[in-house]
Amino acid sequence: MSLDLSFINTIFGDFVPIAPEIIMIIGLLLIPALFFITKNGKVPAACALIVIALTAVLTGLMMYDGGFYGTYANLFTFDAFSGLMMELFLIVVFLVVLISPASPEVTKHKGEYYSLLLAASTGMLFVAGASSLLTIFVGVELVSIVSYALVALKKNDPRASEAAVKYLIIGGLSSALTLYGISMLYGLTGTLQISEIGAAIASMSFNVPFVIAMIAIIAGYGFKIAAVPFHMWAPDVYEGAATPISTYLAVGSKKMGFVVLFKIFLVMFVVAQSGFATGEMQYVFAAIAAITMTVGNVVAISQKNIKRMLAYSSIAQAGYILIVLAVMSEYALTGGLFHMFTHVFMKGGAFIVVAALITVGIGEKISDYKGLAKRAPLVAAAMLLFLFSLAGIPPLAGFTSKFVLFSGAIYVNGVVQTQWIWLAFIAILNSAISLYYYAKVVKAMYIDKGESEEKLKVKKSHAVAIAICVIAVVALGVFPGPLLQLCADAAAVLFI
Amino acid sequence: MDIPILLILMLVPLIGAIATLFMGGSKSKYAVYVAGVFSAIALVMSVYLLFVSDLGSLDISYVWIEAAGLRMNFALGVDGLSILMVFLTSLLVFLVVLFSSTEKDRPNYFHTLLLIMEVGLLGVYLAQDYFLFYIMWEVTLIPMFFLISWYGGPRRHYAAIKFFIYTHVASLVMLIGIFALVFQAAQYSVSGLIDFSFASVAMNAVLFSSTFQTLVFGLLFFGFIVKMPIVPFHTWLPDAHVEAPTGGSVLLAGVMLKMGSYGIIRVCLEVLPQGAISWQWVMIILGVISMIYGAYACIAQKDLKKMVAYSSISHMGMVLIGIGCLSQIGIEFAIFQMFAHGLIAAVLFMVCGLAGHNFGTREIPLLGGMAGKAPIFAAFMMFAFMASLGLPGLMGFVAEFGLLYGFWEFMVANNCMWMIVFGMISMMLTAGYYLWAMQRTLFGKLTDKIDIEHAHDVSKIEAVVMGVLCALIALFGIMPNIVTDFIVNYAMILGGIF
Repeated sequence: MSLDLSFINTIFGDFVPIAPEIIMIIGLLLIPALFFITKNGKVPAACALIVIALTAVLTGLMMYDGGFYGTYANLFTFDAFSGLMMELFLIVVFLVVLISPASPEVTKHKGEYYSLLLAASTGMLFVAGASSLLTIFVGVELVSIVSYALVALKKNDPRASEAAVKYLIIGGLSSALTLYGISMLYGLTGTLQISEIGAAIASMSFNVPFVIAMIAIIAGYGFKIAAVPFHMWAPDVYEGAATPISTYLAVGSKKMGFVVLFKIFLVMFVVAQSGFATGEMQYVFAAIAAITMTVGNVVAISQKNIKRMLAYSSIAQAGYILIVLAVMSEYALTGGLFHMFTHVFMKGGAFIVVAALITVGIGEKISDYKGLAKRAPLVAAAMLLFLFSLAGIPPLAGFTSKFVLFSGAIYVNGVVQTQWIWLAFIAILNSAISLYYYAKVVKAMYIDKGESEEKLKVKKSHAVAIAICVIAVVALGVFPGPLLQLCADAAAVLFI
Repeated sequence: MDIPILLILMLVPLIGAIATLFMGGSKSKYAVYVAGVFSAIALVMSVYLLFVSDLGSLDISYVWIEAAGLRMNFALGVDGLSILMVFLTSLLVFLVVLFSSTEKDRPNYFHTLLLIMEVGLLGVYLAQDYFLFYIMWEVTLIPMFFLISWYGGPRRHYAAIKFFIYTHVASLVMLIGIFALVFQAAQYSVSGLIDFSFASVAMNAVLFSSTFQTLVFGLLFFGFIVKMPIVPFHTWLPDAHVEAPTGGSVLLAGVMLKMGSYGIIRVCLEVLPQGAISWQWVMIILGVISMIYGAYACIAQKDLKKMVAYSSISHMGMVLIGIGCLSQIGIEFAIFQMFAHGLIAAVLFMVCGLAGHNFGTREIPLLGGMAGKAPIFAAFMMFAFMASLGLPGLMGFVAEFGLLYGFWEFMVANNCMWMIVFGMISMMLTAGYYLWAMQRTLFGKLTDKIDIEHAHDVSKIEAVVMGVLCALIALFGIMPNIVTDFIVNYAMILGGIF
């Protein structure tokens, strides 16, 4: 089958590598304008969905052809990796936009809300395509600044305001740290191109400025992915923000943090080969990974609020993905990318269920979920699937992705190595711990008797979003082949 | 023949499970019929398998996932080790569906869970690919979790969660073992693909160093003995059994525990013979400890069902001894014992369930003189107890005789004949606790501690179900060669490796 895709070249000319971002920017400018003209509350959401779908299709076509892979002004690259990550971010924002109209937490400011969401997503797309520290930083800042506004949107709720201020201060700190680290690196190597930095540090000997730069960058982006000990903001913010926004932050902006870390550290150290500091960095990341997953899981056990529990479980999941940076192998990265995808659907699905239930008057406490299986059997069944998938029970998506990711700690560069086997053990034990708190929610839903027997009916858009996630969780569990191969192709890009 | 009969065998209960699920509400009285029909079809198919002369011709293999250098296959096959387990699974599920036909509380869910269990169990025994094997291994957990937590006794929540997490942790350790096994094998593979099929791993496994084999054997072995379970990793079992509904207990003891010993033979012994040799004494010692500790703990139990649960631990300990002998006789009768214990434990747990249901309690001290009140019940209980303690003429005797013979061979070879003492102690304890329990519950003065008015005997359908099982136990006890004919070739080949 061959498609004639030359029209993309005709339209975008030299700007082809940033074509998806261009469409998004046009969309985000159009939405408020259309809203002001029509004054119809449904227009912004519909418009946003169309723009996102259009961008996703365009990105998909460009990946399908392969002839559109290229670089724009040495700042942005469109390749198999960035294309796949763009699709990931677009899926996330699509789901979030889908559930937003039905959420009572998003009432006013409809035009701004969707425009801001698209702006944040544009930032993520920029990050996915960035090939220089400068564009990475700018992209991340675009996402962060927009996110502060999105968290604060529920402005009459003191919890949301508190969350926004907390997020703003910590985010500002993390940006400052990162910029400091980047400037140090620039001073040391004289370039902002990541691959060139890698080449420069390969011949470097030990020096203090480099160590400080690394610490600053890891800490800065550690905040973004909520790795321990930079995680304290996450539960408060997820709890305080409107649930669609929590979903967006937990599954979207976190993934962006990982893309940045992969881009910076994998590219840099793969280019530097086994040169300066690679081994030490691996141990730093291994330690962060082990601590992050353990703290996330252990603290999640005692949580009573389901959003906080999901926040801590999200921290734990970040710990699993950090294994990639410890192992630094192509196979592990394949697993990591695949896990990022499955995480979107299972964690996103769980958050959407929470959002859907808040809409119909169920609280955020785990005890509010008692007897849910009788009141809303399908929603409860979906939640069961998401939670079991997060715990890694086969044959669901979470199992398959953990399977590849954890085995990446054992199978390194084509041989079975014992170096990281302890990390695999910790990850697997953590997986077992996590089963305990997920099972508590399952117990509340399926085993405990609720106070009310009244049937619940969730909003249609929520039901659609949940259905998408359910289908994805099951399909990626049973037939992971095609997406896994895409992830492998994407991973290969960073390991040339 | 080109019909993928093994695939159909797995699909039948799956379709049955879905069909049964929809028999809710006003249609719930039909749930048992739907489940019965589908489990009967599965049973007929597995009986047909018993008469297939060339089992190898049934193997099927489809490439399932091929990406990122990995290749997982949907590969099914059956051989001398698994065929009896497949038969046992489909027989017990069918009988449990019949036995549980009186279930009133949401019967559609109950029978759906049973059929999903059947899919998982058949999957474990038929799988010829490590990925599929592990998935099916875990799939069995979920229906059992819900069987216990929805239909179980008063402490069911605790027991269900404990069962789930305990066995899940063990499975995860096993998973690391599987990773190591498969990825190590991939290093030697010609194609460079990481192929998860049993055949491909086995082909390259001959190149494994003995240190590697010993290490990986340990990981896998841990995963399997928790499932069996072997002392000291047995504590989930009594809780799970006491709280599980009768149908759940029957499947748990009858076929689920066998997954553990099946795994040891299938994965540990077949693929890692060097590792097996270095772990031989551990297997023997753990087996002996389990056998004696299980029997010893039985004496102290007040709850009839808990006693039978501990007796399962004791019998699975014998299986481990048989496997640990690493000889043809040992392996042959370990498999025989797995089959025999599956049938006998099924009757035992049905009897215990009926005691709770018909008399209102399973507490041994509260019962007494029930033989007069419920003679058919008493007959089945006596039969099951006798079969389990190894009365000649019944299946349990053949199994124990063979296992002790294998153990004796091992002792002679290793010059430690004094270990036969353990066998004798265990047999005496077993006879002791069964006879004592029987004496206290069935005979003597009629108890006044329970509501004797409402105590009643077994119903027709329950009698038929247990009757079928008892007939098989007697048949295979008198003519054990029917069973051993299936196993002997497999055991000879495997025993020949060592």
